[in-house]
Amino acid sequence: MDSTDKMKSTGFDQLLRPHMERLYRLAFRLAGNKAEAEDLFQDVLTKIYVRLDDLISIEEPGAWLSRVMYNHFIDNRRKYARQRLVMVEEGGLPGNTVESLPGDASPERDAERGDNIIRLEAALAELSDDHRLVVLLHDSEGYKLEEIQSITGDPVGTIKSRLHRARARLRDLLTNDGTFF
Amino acid sequence: MNCKDLKTNFDDYVDETLEEGANARLQQHVATCDACQQLIDRERRLRSSMREYGDSSMPTPDATYFDRALIAAERQGIKQQHKRSWMTGFGSAVAAGLAIWLLSGVLIDAPNTGSVDSPIPMVTMALEEPRTVNLVFSSVIPLEGATLTLTLPDGIELAGFEGQRQVTWKTSLKEGKNLLPLRLIATMPTSGELLATLEHGEDDRTFRLQVNVI
Repeated sequence: MDSTDKMKSTGFDQLLRPHMERLYRLAFRLAGNKAEAEDLFQDVLTKIYVRLDDLISIEEPGAWLSRVMYNHFIDNRRKYARQRLVMVEEGGLPGNTVESLPGDASPERDAERGDNIIRLEAALAELSDDHRLVVLLHDSEGYKLEEIQSITGDPVGTIKSRLHRARARLRDLLTNDGTFF
Repeated sequence: MNCKDLKTNFDDYVDETLEEGANARLQQHVATCDACQQLIDRERRLRSSMREYGDSSMPTPDATYFDRALIAAERQGIKQQHKRSWMTGFGSAVAAGLAIWLLSGVLIDAPNTGSVDSPIPMVTMALEEPRTVNLVFSSVIPLEGATLTLTLPDGIELAGFEGQRQVTWKTSLKEGKNLLPLRLIATMPTSGELLATLEHGEDDRTFRLQVNVI
Protein backbone atom coordinates (compact mmCIF):
# COMPACT_ATOMS: atom_id res chain seq x y z
CA MET A 1 0.00 0.00 0.00
CA ASP A 2 1.62 3.30 -1.04
CA SER A 3 1.17 6.62 0.82
CA THR A 4 -1.80 7.68 -1.31
CA ASP A 5 -3.49 4.38 -0.61
CA LYS A 6 -2.81 4.79 3.13
CA MET A 7 -4.36 8.28 3.20
CA LYS A 8 -7.28 6.95 1.27
CA SER A 9 -7.66 4.04 3.63
CA THR A 10 -7.90 6.37 6.64
CA GLY A 11 -10.49 8.56 4.93
CA PHE A 12 -12.45 5.52 3.83
CA ASP A 13 -12.67 4.21 7.37
CA GLN A 14 -13.70 7.58 8.81
CA LEU A 15 -16.33 8.20 6.17
CA LEU A 16 -17.82 4.73 6.18
CA ARG A 17 -17.73 3.80 9.84
CA PRO A 18 -20.79 5.87 10.94
CA HIS A 19 -22.92 4.26 8.21
CA MET A 20 -21.82 0.66 8.49
CA GLU A 21 -24.59 -0.67 10.70
CA ARG A 22 -27.37 0.95 8.70
CA LEU A 23 -25.83 -0.29 5.45
CA TYR A 24 -25.50 -3.77 6.86
CA ARG A 25 -29.15 -3.78 7.89
CA LEU A 26 -30.17 -2.57 4.44
CA ALA A 27 -28.11 -5.36 2.86
CA PHE A 28 -29.94 -7.87 5.01
CA ARG A 29 -33.35 -6.42 4.14
CA LEU A 30 -32.49 -6.57 0.45
CA ALA A 31 -30.85 -9.97 0.32
CA GLY A 32 -33.05 -11.65 2.92
CA ASN A 33 -30.41 -13.87 4.50
CA LYS A 34 -27.14 -13.38 6.27
CA ALA A 35 -24.75 -15.07 3.84
CA GLU A 36 -25.94 -13.15 0.82
CA ALA A 37 -26.33 -9.94 2.77
CA GLU A 38 -22.68 -10.15 3.74
CA ASP A 39 -21.66 -10.82 0.14
CA LEU A 40 -23.69 -7.81 -0.94
CA PHE A 41 -22.30 -5.67 1.89
CA GLN A 42 -18.71 -6.57 1.03
CA ASP A 43 -19.15 -6.00 -2.70
CA VAL A 44 -20.70 -2.60 -2.10
CA LEU A 45 -17.97 -1.52 0.32
CA THR A 46 -15.40 -2.38 -2.33
CA LYS A 47 -17.37 -0.49 -4.93
CA ILE A 48 -17.56 2.53 -2.64
CA TYR A 49 -13.81 2.42 -2.00
CA VAL A 50 -13.24 2.74 -5.73
CA ARG A 51 -15.66 5.70 -5.76
CA LEU A 52 -14.30 7.35 -2.64
CA ASP A 53 -13.82 10.67 -4.43
CA ASP A 54 -17.58 10.71 -5.11
CA LEU A 55 -18.36 9.90 -1.49
CA ILE A 56 -16.20 12.76 -0.21
CA SER A 57 -18.13 15.28 -2.29
CA ILE A 58 -21.59 14.02 -1.28
CA GLU A 59 -23.57 16.16 1.17
CA GLU A 60 -25.70 13.30 2.47
CA PRO A 61 -23.46 10.26 2.35
CA GLY A 62 -25.95 8.02 4.14
CA ALA A 63 -28.57 8.34 1.43
CA TRP A 64 -25.98 8.05 -1.32
CA LEU A 65 -24.49 4.90 0.20
CA SER A 66 -27.91 3.32 0.53
CA ARG A 67 -28.69 4.16 -3.08
CA VAL A 68 -25.40 2.64 -4.28
CA MET A 69 -26.26 -0.51 -2.36
CA TYR A 70 -29.80 -0.70 -3.70
CA ASN A 71 -28.68 -0.14 -7.30
CA HIS A 72 -25.92 -2.71 -6.95
CA PHE A 73 -28.42 -5.19 -5.57
CA ILE A 74 -30.89 -4.57 -8.39
CA ASP A 75 -28.16 -4.89 -11.03
CA ASN A 76 -26.97 -8.15 -9.50
CA ARG A 77 -30.25 -9.51 -8.24
CA ARG A 78 -29.53 -12.98 -9.52
CA LYS A 79 -26.24 -13.14 -7.67
CA TYR A 80 -27.91 -12.21 -4.42
CA ALA A 81 -30.93 -14.40 -5.09
CA ARG A 82 -33.24 -14.28 -2.16
CA GLN A 83 -33.54 -17.48 -0.22
CA ARG A 84 -36.88 -17.60 1.50
CA LEU A 85 -35.97 -20.24 4.00
CA VAL A 86 -34.10 -19.28 7.11
CA MET A 87 -30.67 -20.79 6.82
CA VAL A 88 -29.69 -23.29 9.46
CA GLU A 89 -26.67 -21.42 10.76
CA GLU A 90 -28.74 -18.27 11.24
CA GLY A 91 -31.04 -20.01 13.66
CA GLY A 92 -28.26 -20.07 16.22
CA LEU A 93 -27.21 -16.48 15.83
CA PRO A 94 -27.51 -14.14 18.78
CA GLY A 95 -30.43 -11.82 18.27
CA ASN A 96 -32.04 -14.13 15.81
CA THR A 97 -34.19 -16.23 18.02
CA VAL A 98 -37.52 -15.57 19.60
CA GLU A 99 -35.95 -16.23 23.02
CA SER A 100 -33.87 -13.13 22.57
CA LEU A 101 -36.84 -10.83 22.28
CA PRO A 102 -36.48 -8.06 24.85
CA GLY A 103 -37.72 -8.92 28.30
CA ASP A 104 -41.17 -9.48 29.62
CA ALA A 105 -41.74 -10.92 33.04
CA SER A 106 -44.22 -13.57 31.98
CA PRO A 107 -42.91 -16.66 30.14
CA GLU A 108 -46.38 -17.20 28.65
CA ARG A 109 -46.40 -13.67 27.32
CA ASP A 110 -42.89 -14.06 25.87
CA ALA A 111 -43.92 -17.26 24.16
CA GLU A 112 -46.97 -15.56 22.69
CA ARG A 113 -44.86 -12.68 21.40
CA GLY A 114 -42.42 -15.15 19.93
CA ASP A 115 -45.24 -16.96 18.15
CA ASN A 116 -46.54 -13.68 16.79
CA ILE A 117 -43.13 -12.78 15.39
CA ILE A 118 -42.86 -16.17 13.70
CA ARG A 119 -46.30 -15.69 12.15
CA LEU A 120 -45.36 -12.19 11.10
CA GLU A 121 -42.25 -13.51 9.35
CA ALA A 122 -44.36 -16.07 7.51
CA ALA A 123 -46.81 -13.36 6.48
CA LEU A 124 -43.99 -11.11 5.26
CA ALA A 125 -42.77 -13.97 3.10
CA GLU A 126 -46.15 -13.92 1.33
CA LEU A 127 -45.64 -10.35 0.11
CA SER A 128 -44.10 -9.36 -3.21
CA ASP A 129 -40.45 -8.26 -3.06
CA ASP A 130 -41.37 -4.60 -3.58
CA HIS A 131 -44.06 -4.59 -0.92
CA ARG A 132 -41.97 -6.50 1.60
CA LEU A 133 -38.99 -4.20 1.12
CA VAL A 134 -41.06 -1.05 1.62
CA VAL A 135 -42.86 -2.29 4.72
CA LEU A 136 -39.65 -3.60 6.27
CA LEU A 137 -37.73 -0.41 5.60
CA HIS A 138 -40.54 1.81 6.85
CA ASP A 139 -42.09 -0.12 9.71
CA SER A 140 -39.14 -2.22 10.90
CA GLU A 141 -36.12 -0.09 10.08
CA GLY A 142 -37.72 3.30 10.62
CA TYR A 143 -37.00 4.80 7.20
CA LYS A 144 -39.13 7.77 6.20
CA LEU A 145 -40.99 7.68 2.89
CA GLU A 146 -38.62 10.28 1.45
CA GLU A 147 -35.62 8.22 2.51
CA ILE A 148 -37.02 5.19 0.72
CA GLN A 149 -37.61 7.37 -2.32
CA SER A 150 -33.98 8.48 -2.30
CA ILE A 151 -32.89 4.83 -2.27
CA THR A 152 -35.23 3.27 -4.82
CA GLY A 153 -35.96 6.33 -6.94
CA ASP A 154 -39.69 5.55 -6.89
CA PRO A 155 -42.14 8.43 -6.33
CA VAL A 156 -43.36 8.88 -2.76
CA GLY A 157 -46.93 8.20 -3.92
CA THR A 158 -45.90 4.81 -5.27
CA ILE A 159 -44.05 3.96 -2.09
CA LYS A 160 -46.99 5.04 0.04
CA SER A 161 -49.34 2.92 -2.04
CA ARG A 162 -47.05 -0.12 -1.70
CA LEU A 163 -46.82 0.44 2.02
CA HIS A 164 -50.60 0.69 2.32
CA ARG A 165 -51.11 -2.52 0.32
CA ALA A 166 -48.38 -4.36 2.18
CA ARG A 167 -49.91 -3.49 5.55
CA ALA A 168 -53.39 -4.40 4.37
CA ARG A 169 -52.13 -7.77 3.18
CA LEU A 170 -50.31 -8.38 6.45
CA ARG A 171 -53.46 -7.48 8.39
CA ASP A 172 -55.46 -9.95 6.32
CA LEU A 173 -52.95 -12.73 6.74
CA LEU A 174 -52.46 -12.16 10.46
CA THR A 175 -56.15 -11.72 11.18
CA ASN A 176 -57.00 -14.90 9.30
CA ASP A 177 -54.49 -16.95 11.28
CA GLY A 178 -55.67 -15.45 14.56
CA THR A 179 -52.48 -13.54 15.38
CA PHE A 180 -54.28 -10.22 15.54
CA PHE A 181 -57.99 -10.01 16.10
CA MET B 1 -65.60 12.60 11.23
CA ASN B 2 -66.89 9.05 11.03
CA CYS B 3 -65.71 5.47 10.45
CA LYS B 4 -65.36 6.10 6.72
CA ASP B 5 -63.06 9.05 7.35
CA LEU B 6 -60.87 6.89 9.54
CA LYS B 7 -60.70 4.21 6.84
CA THR B 8 -59.66 6.83 4.28
CA ASN B 9 -56.94 8.26 6.51
CA PHE B 10 -56.09 5.09 8.37
CA ASP B 11 -52.32 4.87 7.65
CA ASP B 12 -51.75 8.59 8.13
CA TYR B 13 -53.69 8.54 11.40
CA VAL B 14 -51.70 5.63 12.83
CA ASP B 15 -48.44 7.05 11.47
CA GLU B 16 -49.36 10.41 13.03
CA THR B 17 -48.70 12.20 9.77
CA LEU B 18 -52.13 13.84 9.48
CA GLU B 19 -52.36 17.60 9.84
CA GLU B 20 -53.26 18.64 13.36
CA GLY B 21 -56.88 19.61 12.81
CA ALA B 22 -57.86 16.44 10.95
CA ASN B 23 -55.99 14.35 13.46
CA ALA B 24 -57.87 15.94 16.39
CA ARG B 25 -61.25 15.42 14.71
CA LEU B 26 -60.49 11.75 14.03
CA GLN B 27 -59.32 11.33 17.61
CA GLN B 28 -62.69 12.58 18.79
CA HIS B 29 -64.42 10.02 16.61
CA VAL B 30 -62.20 7.12 17.67
CA ALA B 31 -62.78 7.98 21.33
CA THR B 32 -66.48 7.35 20.86
CA CYS B 33 -66.32 4.40 18.43
CA ASP B 34 -65.36 0.98 19.78
CA ALA B 35 -65.02 -0.55 16.30
CA CYS B 36 -62.55 2.09 15.17
CA GLN B 37 -60.69 1.94 18.47
CA GLN B 38 -60.33 -1.81 18.01
CA LEU B 39 -58.93 -1.32 14.50
CA ILE B 40 -56.44 1.23 15.77
CA ASP B 41 -55.33 -1.01 18.62
CA ARG B 42 -54.84 -3.93 16.28
CA GLU B 43 -52.85 -1.78 13.89
CA ARG B 44 -50.64 -0.48 16.70
CA ARG B 45 -49.94 -4.06 17.75
CA LEU B 46 -48.94 -4.83 14.17
CA ARG B 47 -46.63 -1.82 14.03
CA SER B 48 -45.12 -2.77 17.36
CA SER B 49 -44.53 -6.31 16.12
CA MET B 50 -42.91 -4.96 12.95
CA ARG B 51 -40.50 -2.86 15.01
CA GLU B 52 -39.74 -5.84 17.21
CA TYR B 53 -39.25 -8.01 14.14
CA GLY B 54 -36.78 -5.43 12.81
CA ASP B 55 -34.33 -6.20 15.58
CA SER B 56 -35.16 -9.80 16.35
CA SER B 57 -34.76 -10.91 12.73
CA MET B 58 -31.52 -9.03 12.17
CA PRO B 59 -28.36 -11.13 12.46
CA THR B 60 -25.71 -9.65 14.70
CA PRO B 61 -22.32 -9.68 13.03
CA ASP B 62 -19.42 -10.55 15.29
CA ALA B 63 -17.45 -7.76 16.93
CA THR B 64 -14.70 -7.63 14.32
CA TYR B 65 -16.89 -8.07 11.26
CA PHE B 66 -17.04 -4.40 10.26
CA ASP B 67 -13.28 -3.98 10.72
CA ARG B 68 -12.61 -7.01 8.59
CA ALA B 69 -15.10 -5.87 5.95
CA LEU B 70 -13.43 -2.46 5.69
CA ILE B 71 -9.97 -3.97 5.36
CA ALA B 72 -11.17 -6.42 2.71
CA ALA B 73 -12.90 -3.61 0.81
CA GLU B 74 -9.73 -1.52 0.84
CA ARG B 75 -7.65 -4.42 -0.43
CA GLN B 76 -10.11 -5.28 -3.17
CA GLY B 77 -10.65 -1.61 -4.00
CA ILE B 78 -6.93 -0.92 -4.38
CA LYS B 79 -6.61 -3.93 -6.67
CA GLN B 80 -9.56 -2.80 -8.76
CA GLN B 81 -8.26 0.76 -9.00
CA HIS B 82 -4.84 -0.33 -10.13
CA LYS B 83 -6.43 -2.63 -12.64
CA ARG B 84 -8.76 0.13 -13.83
CA SER B 85 -6.00 2.71 -14.25
CA TRP B 86 -4.02 0.14 -16.20
CA MET B 87 -7.02 -0.71 -18.32
CA THR B 88 -8.13 2.82 -19.12
CA GLY B 89 -4.72 4.41 -19.58
CA PHE B 90 -3.93 4.98 -23.18
CA GLY B 91 -0.82 2.88 -23.10
CA SER B 92 -2.68 -0.15 -21.96
CA ALA B 93 -5.61 0.61 -24.17
CA VAL B 94 -3.46 -0.31 -27.08
CA ALA B 95 -0.82 -2.23 -25.22
CA ALA B 96 -2.08 -5.58 -26.35
CA GLY B 97 -0.36 -4.14 -29.30
CA LEU B 98 1.07 -5.31 -32.39
CA ALA B 99 0.97 -8.62 -34.06
CA ILE B 100 2.35 -9.13 -37.48
CA TRP B 101 1.14 -11.40 -40.16
CA LEU B 102 2.55 -11.83 -43.60
CA LEU B 103 0.21 -11.80 -46.54
CA SER B 104 0.05 -15.55 -46.29
CA GLY B 105 -1.61 -15.12 -42.94
CA VAL B 106 1.10 -16.88 -41.04
CA LEU B 107 1.79 -15.34 -37.70
CA ILE B 108 5.47 -14.66 -37.65
CA ASP B 109 5.95 -12.94 -34.37
CA ALA B 110 4.40 -12.33 -30.99
CA PRO B 111 2.62 -9.20 -29.77
CA ASN B 112 4.96 -6.40 -28.87
CA THR B 113 4.40 -3.55 -26.50
CA GLY B 114 7.46 -1.70 -27.68
CA SER B 115 9.02 -1.70 -24.25
CA VAL B 116 12.74 -2.09 -23.82
CA ASP B 117 12.40 -5.62 -22.48
CA SER B 118 10.05 -6.89 -25.16
CA PRO B 119 11.51 -8.54 -28.22
CA ILE B 120 10.92 -6.49 -31.34
CA PRO B 121 8.93 -8.39 -33.93
CA MET B 122 10.75 -8.96 -37.17
CA VAL B 123 9.83 -9.38 -40.81
CA THR B 124 12.13 -10.42 -43.62
CA MET B 125 11.49 -9.18 -47.15
CA ALA B 126 12.96 -9.80 -50.57
CA LEU B 127 14.21 -6.89 -52.63
CA GLU B 128 11.55 -5.37 -54.92
CA GLU B 129 9.05 -7.95 -53.84
CA PRO B 130 5.96 -6.29 -52.33
CA ARG B 131 4.68 -7.80 -49.14
CA THR B 132 1.69 -6.94 -47.04
CA VAL B 133 2.31 -6.64 -43.35
CA ASN B 134 -0.79 -6.45 -41.17
CA LEU B 135 -0.45 -4.46 -38.01
CA VAL B 136 -3.08 -5.34 -35.46
CA PHE B 137 -3.81 -2.83 -32.73
CA SER B 138 -5.85 -4.30 -29.94
CA SER B 139 -7.62 -1.66 -27.93
CA VAL B 140 -9.73 -2.29 -24.84
CA ILE B 141 -11.65 0.94 -25.39
CA PRO B 142 -12.73 2.88 -28.50
CA LEU B 143 -10.26 5.64 -29.36
CA GLU B 144 -11.68 8.48 -31.43
CA GLY B 145 -9.42 10.95 -33.23
CA ALA B 146 -6.14 9.13 -32.80
CA THR B 147 -3.17 9.98 -35.03
CA LEU B 148 -1.12 7.23 -36.55
CA THR B 149 2.34 8.00 -37.88
CA LEU B 150 4.43 5.49 -39.75
CA THR B 151 8.14 6.13 -39.92
CA LEU B 152 9.88 3.95 -42.49
CA PRO B 153 13.53 2.96 -42.54
CA ASP B 154 15.64 3.90 -45.55
CA GLY B 155 15.04 1.54 -48.46
CA ILE B 156 11.50 0.62 -47.46
CA GLU B 157 8.55 2.25 -49.23
CA LEU B 158 4.88 2.22 -48.43
CA ALA B 159 2.85 1.51 -51.56
CA GLY B 160 1.03 4.67 -52.63
CA PHE B 161 3.41 6.87 -50.65
CA GLU B 162 6.63 6.27 -52.54
CA GLY B 163 9.52 8.48 -51.48
CA GLN B 164 7.98 9.39 -48.12
CA ARG B 165 9.81 8.38 -44.99
CA GLN B 166 6.95 9.42 -42.79
CA VAL B 167 3.22 9.05 -43.36
CA THR B 168 0.62 10.42 -40.92
CA TRP B 169 -3.12 10.10 -40.84
CA LYS B 170 -6.03 10.49 -38.48
CA THR B 171 -7.86 7.37 -37.46
CA SER B 172 -10.18 5.92 -34.88
CA LEU B 173 -9.78 2.62 -33.14
CA LYS B 174 -12.74 0.57 -32.25
CA GLU B 175 -12.83 -1.60 -29.17
CA GLY B 176 -11.11 -4.87 -29.99
CA LYS B 177 -8.74 -5.65 -32.82
CA ASN B 178 -8.04 -3.04 -35.48
CA LEU B 179 -6.24 -4.17 -38.58
CA LEU B 180 -3.93 -1.92 -40.57
CA PRO B 181 -2.62 -3.57 -43.75
CA LEU B 182 0.66 -2.04 -44.97
CA ARG B 183 1.92 -2.94 -48.45
CA LEU B 184 5.69 -2.52 -48.21
CA ILE B 185 8.27 -2.57 -50.95
CA ALA B 186 12.00 -2.91 -50.33
CA THR B 187 14.01 -0.75 -52.73
CA MET B 188 17.48 -1.59 -51.43
CA PRO B 189 19.12 -4.29 -49.30
CA THR B 190 18.79 -2.88 -45.85
CA SER B 191 17.66 -3.48 -42.32
CA GLY B 192 16.01 -1.04 -39.98
CA GLU B 193 13.06 -0.32 -37.77
CA LEU B 194 9.60 0.64 -38.92
CA LEU B 195 7.91 2.71 -36.26
CA ALA B 196 4.15 2.98 -35.87
CA THR B 197 3.30 5.76 -33.44
CA LEU B 198 -0.23 6.11 -32.20
CA GLU B 199 -1.14 9.38 -30.50
CA HIS B 200 -4.34 10.18 -28.65
CA GLY B 201 -4.66 13.42 -26.74
CA GLU B 202 -1.39 13.90 -24.95
CA ASP B 203 -0.53 10.25 -24.89
CA ASP B 204 1.40 8.31 -27.43
CA ARG B 205 2.67 4.84 -27.93
CA THR B 206 5.19 3.56 -30.42
CA PHE B 207 5.34 0.09 -31.83
CA ARG B 208 8.51 -1.16 -33.51
CA LEU B 209 8.97 -3.62 -36.32
CA GLN B 210 12.39 -4.81 -37.42
CA VAL B 211 12.52 -5.08 -41.22
CA ASN B 212 15.31 -7.06 -42.87
CA VAL B 213 15.73 -7.17 -46.63
CA ILE B 214 17.61 -10.00 -48.22
